[in-house]
Amino acid sequence: MILLRLISWPYVRKHLLRSVLTTAGIVLGVALLVGMQGANRSVLAAFNQTVDRIAGKAQLQVTAGESGFAEDVLERVQAVPQVRAAAPVIEASVETGLKGQGKLLILAVDMTGDRSLRDYDFENGDEDVIDDPLVFLAQPDSLIVTREFAGRNGLGAGSRVAFDTMEGPRQFTVRGVLKAGGMAAAFGGNLGIMDIYAAQKVFGRGRHFDRIDIGLAEGVSLEQGQAALEKALGPGFNVEPPSGRGRQFESLLGIYTTAMSISSLFALFVGVFIIYNSFAIAVTQRRAEIGILRALGATRGQIRTLFLGESAIAGLIGSAAGVALGLAFTRSLAGFTGQLMEAIFGVPQNTREILVDPRFLLVALVLGVATSMIAAFVPARNAARVEPVQALQKGKYQVLLAGENRTRRRAALLALALSLGCLALSRYRPLFYLGYLLTVTAALLLAPFLSLELARLLRGPLKWLRPIEGSLAADSLIQAPRRTSATVSALMLSLALAIAHGGVSLASVQSIQEWMAGTLNPDLFVSTSETLAARDFRFPAAMEGELEAVPGVADVQPVRTARVHLGGKPVMIVATELGRVYRHIHRTIIAGDAQTMDTLAPEGKGVVIGENLSVLQKLHLGEIIELPTPSGPLRLPIVGIIRDYSNQLGAVFLERSVYVRYFQDDTVDLFRVYVKRGAAGEEVRRQIVERLGGHRRLFVLSNREVRDYVTGVANQWLGLTYIQVLVALMVAILGIVNTLTVSISDRRRELGVLRAVGGLRAQIRGTVWMEAVAIGAIGLALGTATGAVFLYYEVQAIGKDIAGTPLAYQFPFGIVALLVPVILIAALISAVLPAETAVRSSLVEALEYE
Amino acid sequence: MISLKNVSKYYDGKRRVVALEAVDLHIERGEMVSIVGPSGSGKSTLLNLIGGLDRPSTGEIRIDGQAVAALSDDDLTRLRRDKIGFIFQFFNLLPSLTCVENVALPLHLKGLPRKEIDKRARALLDLVQLAERFDHLPDELSGGERQRVAIARALAFSPPVLLADEPTGNLDTHTGAEILRLIHDLHERLHATILVVTHDATVAESCPRTVTLRDARIDGDVRR
Ligand SMILES: Nc1ncnc2c1ncn2[C@@H]1O[C@H](COP(=O)(O)OP(=O)(O)O)[C@@H](O)[C@H]1O
Ligand SMILES: [Mg+2]
Repeated sequence: MILLRLISWPYVRKHLLRSVLTTAGIVLGVALLVGMQGANRSVLAAFNQTVDRIAGKAQLQVTAGESGFAEDVLERVQAVPQVRAAAPVIEASVETGLKGQGKLLILAVDMTGDRSLRDYDFENGDEDVIDDPLVFLAQPDSLIVTREFAGRNGLGAGSRVAFDTMEGPRQFTVRGVLKAGGMAAAFGGNLGIMDIYAAQKVFGRGRHFDRIDIGLAEGVSLEQGQAALEKALGPGFNVEPPSGRGRQFESLLGIYTTAMSISSLFALFVGVFIIYNSFAIAVTQRRAEIGILRALGATRGQIRTLFLGESAIAGLIGSAAGVALGLAFTRSLAGFTGQLMEAIFGVPQNTREILVDPRFLLVALVLGVATSMIAAFVPARNAARVEPVQALQKGKYQVLLAGENRTRRRAALLALALSLGCLALSRYRPLFYLGYLLTVTAALLLAPFLSLELARLLRGPLKWLRPIEGSLAADSLIQAPRRTSATVSALMLSLALAIAHGGVSLASVQSIQEWMAGTLNPDLFVSTSETLAARDFRFPAAMEGELEAVPGVADVQPVRTARVHLGGKPVMIVATELGRVYRHIHRTIIAGDAQTMDTLAPEGKGVVIGENLSVLQKLHLGEIIELPTPSGPLRLPIVGIIRDYSNQLGAVFLERSVYVRYFQDDTVDLFRVYVKRGAAGEEVRRQIVERLGGHRRLFVLSNREVRDYVTGVANQWLGLTYIQVLVALMVAILGIVNTLTVSISDRRRELGVLRAVGGLRAQIRGTVWMEAVAIGAIGLALGTATGAVFLYYEVQAIGKDIAGTPLAYQFPFGIVALLVPVILIAALISAVLPAETAVRSSLVEALEYE
Repeated sequence: MISLKNVSKYYDGKRRVVALEAVDLHIERGEMVSIVGPSGSGKSTLLNLIGGLDRPSTGEIRIDGQAVAALSDDDLTRLRRDKIGFIFQFFNLLPSLTCVENVALPLHLKGLPRKEIDKRARALLDLVQLAERFDHLPDELSGGERQRVAIARALAFSPPVLLADEPTGNLDTHTGAEILRLIHDLHERLHATILVVTHDATVAESCPRTVTLRDARIDGDVRR
């Protein structure tokens, strides 16, 4: 280890900037990994904590998807002998209008029985009326809040809190304050408790409960209780411990987590190239030193250990910095993730605490160090192979050996041939992905050779542009391909991924827009919330008539959406009057014919499903699907498959009357409203608000607003593309600075001669800049070509395995048009510092014989 | 043509190195001067200062009446490009460029029209008797030939001053003599002011004037 201090430290100090840049790849990857993991964990933990806290002593929870169930289910549950206590619950979140407070999660319970499951620990009892729950019940405007919420908003017993209810705006009176801790810690303290029968009115639940919390009788195990309840209730109900909700939420969060993890792992992967590059360069620059060490008796093992040790230290420092950076970003990432979950799935979020798993930090640290060491492995081995005598021969080592080149090219062609074979057999999905992997391998193997050829190709134009500066810049690339190949490879990969993601994004947004144009064509949407995803409030069925009575309204279509479990996944049931809806929309029919669909589905003799559901769960036309409902399983044939983007995991379109019958739920989430020909949308909108707004909580959205909202949500997902572009940008800057720093040190003599015989500063800078731009251009060329291929694979993967809706192959010219200037400018920026170093270094020293 | 007044050059490292101390030197237009002295006596430093590759720590240098200290970096480069030709011991040719391209280097840097550059570069190679080597890379040439290319490059603008730092130091005796003859020939034909740093007594004695350096100071100045 003495070697590390004596040999490595001075080198690092001398090349400080480069050393810092080298570790930046690791920093970035580890930071992304830690930040994302921390954020997701915190969001998930906050969700679980809320579930757990408000579950109290409940061991099991009875639910029926998102539809809820009628009150009489409670009696059926209570009749089960294994049940000690059963308490009905309605849970929903509201906007309180208190500044900066976010949402208030309302837990509505039946106070008479609820204390057998939950502990209500109130502040100074004598002042509170709560001591008598019946008094509380008698006043439906009562609200209990937590100490924390009360403290933040200056509330106390008797204070008023206002929010919109299904019966218009209402004032609620704080009749009790929960002590801190226990249940009061749920939802970041933003918890309100209300009487369940009041809540049925407030949230438009009719005579329904969202779920029933169960305490089991003494001596009854969880499994026994679960079995007994399932038997008593039938298959339409879910009986699970409270933690089951966490799992469901996790599966929603999962899609997003996977996407983000891929991004961070990719950043680490690119880090491998940057580190490899740095070490390869260091080894060549330090050949003489290595030769001397070898001559002085250092063994090959010691040399290898020296370089691996360096990489381990670099990895450790980089990972540590990455962990710190990741932790710093966790909070804002958690906020972003929470928002996304709320916008897409309508699950209210309140993440106040940031949770970090020290074990994961350790894993990230180890991963960072391992990445660094893997990257340094080949250069370290090469260093160990240096012969003392060879070390003094300069220049030769940077040439890509012809033999090596040929082997690589052969391996690349083999990989390419195999990947084509895989493509031909891509029906078998693992082979398809193997083919993708082989293509990536081929691209990486070919990158050095291709970048050399491209540099040769560029020499002409560069020379034409600037006879001296241009040809020297190209020559620098041609003569030392090793110096640039790793940078070009990293750039190629990250650009290819950015392009592939960009293409996928573009195609998705376009198909979603096409779909919206065909199906989201009502003039107005009447919703219970500003975001179409939230389902806290529900309209009564009677509102359909009220809307129809508004002058100018031509047609009103009630829609009720509720997730149920189908094939183990939360799938959306869209219950509507299919006949009326189908008269207005343009469907893209994937399977089945319009006529059968239009006769059978509206009669309730079949369901229409989304294409993604059919692909993801392998459901075909004519098959019978079984939907779990509170009245028992509902079996219907699939009479049509249409293109659909309303739910990521798939949707089942069901005739409303059938839904109402089976789910005993006639509430409505959304009314699609068409205005009469000639009537002004704005005027109708005003009329609706005027007539209904006073006694109903409602939001009337125009067609434009809804489309913008959907596009906005889609774009939020596609924000990942920009993260990729950002990673590409970082790679470009890191790699190019790194390569150029070495290049100008390699070209010191040449640049010195140039200056000696009359090269002005601008001309010296020019040649360095041209080299940088050439690297950028080569990376862009290879990245674009590779990206075009990657895009093909991603489109296939998404269409067949991930989303289930086929995407058009659309090359994202826009993204490329963005990347070209961004990368070239990044290249120029990267060249600024090295160019200045070149201009300012001592001429005399440059010209001296070394 | 060249005048140095009280010129010193120090290198400040851990210890201060005196490379040149209070040098006064005056060289007339068209003179041919050899500079001799033991290794480390400051010969290269002197040449580098005159050639504007480096700036003195103190003192004043004038080239063709122009005070070097007042010039910006780029102006100094222009002075170098237009008025001074360098010939180095290790040739300093750019390995990736052909002979013609190497010779054309300063012409391109000045931005002359390409046709003219090509004509001139070929004429210069003719002048140093390398007409048949136009499109060869430096690697393919012998030492003497490389030095000829370097000389052709130095003559690109027919500079009034030619500076040669041990031009024969890396060549065998025979080739060295040939190069020396070429330099003398150029002196006669072009009437340039020429400074040659050398170890070689025959080279030194072939010049009408010899300046001797010792321990960073001028220790002798002989005219024949
Ligand atoms: N860049 C430098 N840094 C420090 N000392 C230098 C540098 N260049 C030259 N010297 C020192 O200056 C002195 C003169 O060097 P130089 O002019 O090259 O001598 P000569 O060419 O006569 O052999 C020597 O002692 C040398 O070590
Ligand atoms: Mg010398």
